[in-house]
Amino acid sequence: MTRRQTITGLISMVVAFVLFVVPFLFVLINASKTAQDASQLDFSWPERWVFWENLVTTVQTRDYALLLAYWNSIVITVGAITLLVIFGAMVGYIVQRRPNRVTRIVYIITLSGLMIPPAVVPTIWLLQEINLFKTLHGMIFIQVAYGLGFTVLLYRNFIGTIPRELDEAAIIDGAKPWQVFFRVVLPLLKPVTVTIIVVQSITIFNDFTHPLYYLPGRDNITVQLTLYNFQSQFVSQMNLLFMNIMLITIPPLLVFIFFNRQIVAGMTSGAVKG
Amino acid sequence: MSRVQLKELRKSFGAVDVIKGVDLTIEPGEFCVFVGPSGCGKSTLLRMISGLEEQTSGVIEINGRDVSNVEPSERGIAMVFQNYALYPHLSVRENIGFGLSLARKPKTEIAQKVGKVAEILQLSDYLDRKPKELSGGQRQRVAIGRAIVRDPEVFLFDEPLSNLDAALRSQMRIELTDLHARLGATMIYVTHDQVEAMTMADKIVVLNGGRVEQVGSPMELYERPASPFVAEFIGSPKMNLYEGAVAQQLGANHAYGIRPEHLSVSETKGKWPVTVRHVERLGADTIVHLENDELGTIVARVEGSRAFRIGDKAFATPDPAREVRF
Repeated sequence: MTRRQTITGLISMVVAFVLFVVPFLFVLINASKTAQDASQLDFSWPERWVFWENLVTTVQTRDYALLLAYWNSIVITVGAITLLVIFGAMVGYIVQRRPNRVTRIVYIITLSGLMIPPAVVPTIWLLQEINLFKTLHGMIFIQVAYGLGFTVLLYRNFIGTIPRELDEAAIIDGAKPWQVFFRVVLPLLKPVTVTIIVVQSITIFNDFTHPLYYLPGRDNITVQLTLYNFQSQFVSQMNLLFMNIMLITIPPLLVFIFFNRQIVAGMTSGAVKG
Repeated sequence: MSRVQLKELRKSFGAVDVIKGVDLTIEPGEFCVFVGPSGCGKSTLLRMISGLEEQTSGVIEINGRDVSNVEPSERGIAMVFQNYALYPHLSVRENIGFGLSLARKPKTEIAQKVGKVAEILQLSDYLDRKPKELSGGQRQRVAIGRAIVRDPEVFLFDEPLSNLDAALRSQMRIELTDLHARLGATMIYVTHDQVEAMTMADKIVVLNGGRVEQVGSPMELYERPASPFVAEFIGSPKMNLYEGAVAQQLGANHAYGIRPEHLSVSETKGKWPVTVRHVERLGADTIVHLENDELGTIVARVEGSRAFRIGDKAFATPDPAREVRF
């Protein structure tokens, strides 16, 4: 390593530390303080460590609202991701493999979902009209609608790299169209599927505004909204707020750590000469 | 074993006619090669027989049954693709047995059939590998195995050897010919390589611009080409072809042809005085490029031991029995 590389390396490590690790440490330290101590909002060592007490209080607050929120958020995330992967891959496959007027229009509509900002009030009217307002499955559909454009775009481009001969070989082997998709194409989409699971699940799990608009009600609380409740209820209890932040940061962190190593490309090598 | 018949087969992509009316009969058990330059429609023709491409008009019959509008999997065909098209996520065993598992055949039957095919193709040791862990020749054999296991009436090959290196290609040519002899099935083989066509075919179909130029056995095409196109396409090095006034002087209507191997070159006397322009030594043979004032370039094949140098004067004489006139 040259001197220059050492210096730039060190600088980037310091920047990364300040950006990513320091805030986390701040959260951790403040989550371990007493209410009085935490209200100072400074980066000092806790006068007294009350980590466990804070954790128990946070979980128990509002009749275990945090656990309900975990459950709701997980249901929404898993449901939305499942639908996104299945529909995104199917739409991407058809749009890529059968270029004609209809699929082009479908593709343009899907992409416009990326470009046109969603309008909140008409969406609520629509949800009320079809009895999906304030329901978890309604929220799942909303998240699918928001994520579908990006998902289809990713899948379509990736499917373009899978040789068409594979489809044709399967057709000659006697595969029906759905078998071509589920038994040949879908398994080859693993790398892009992992990418979509990581990106979209973190987005959906961490979503604050959409559940706030479309999912009001005590029983419909999601993890990010627990923060909101804390802030209004315990204005002076910053320690619990930080404990809450820490607790809801864990699941996305786990997803990222678990899947990060699995984002593998090159599944198709060997299909064609290479 | 099945007869394949094509009747007035046509294909257009939009306004472009790719296949302009093909009538052809491929006899049961025949090894038939479609050959032609790129863009002549040979692959399209094969894909129409397979059912992957729909014909614009015309009829395809396999074993006397009209299959023009039948699904590819119901036509009794199997196809080997240029890029092998192996399923990368499946092992060799699953690749070969894929069609059978789709047909929901019992596991024991699949295992038995796959085992038998693997034995024929010497793939038994590789059954649990993934395609990417195989060499080019092995992948090619897996692709052929996937075709054999379907027990088809007709095998279709779409330039299957073009991704292999030269040594492997000639070895696979022999293996394919052996396979054809052993299975006795009707095979249709597409290639742009006239050497593959000559060495493997019972019947060659030369295609040009979406039409059948000539159909015949390799030696028929070599000895009695029906058109200057076929004459030039079949044989290596290419036939010397002359058109226009010189051809008429040599007694042809519009084209005169003589193959390089049917020319004798002498230092002392002969029909056409020539100058040596270029010498290609192949060992057994030597290809000499000669220059004649009237005809232009003449290519001749002479014995490897003959010593020619660039700039030498000589005489070239065609074998009168082997001259071709159109």
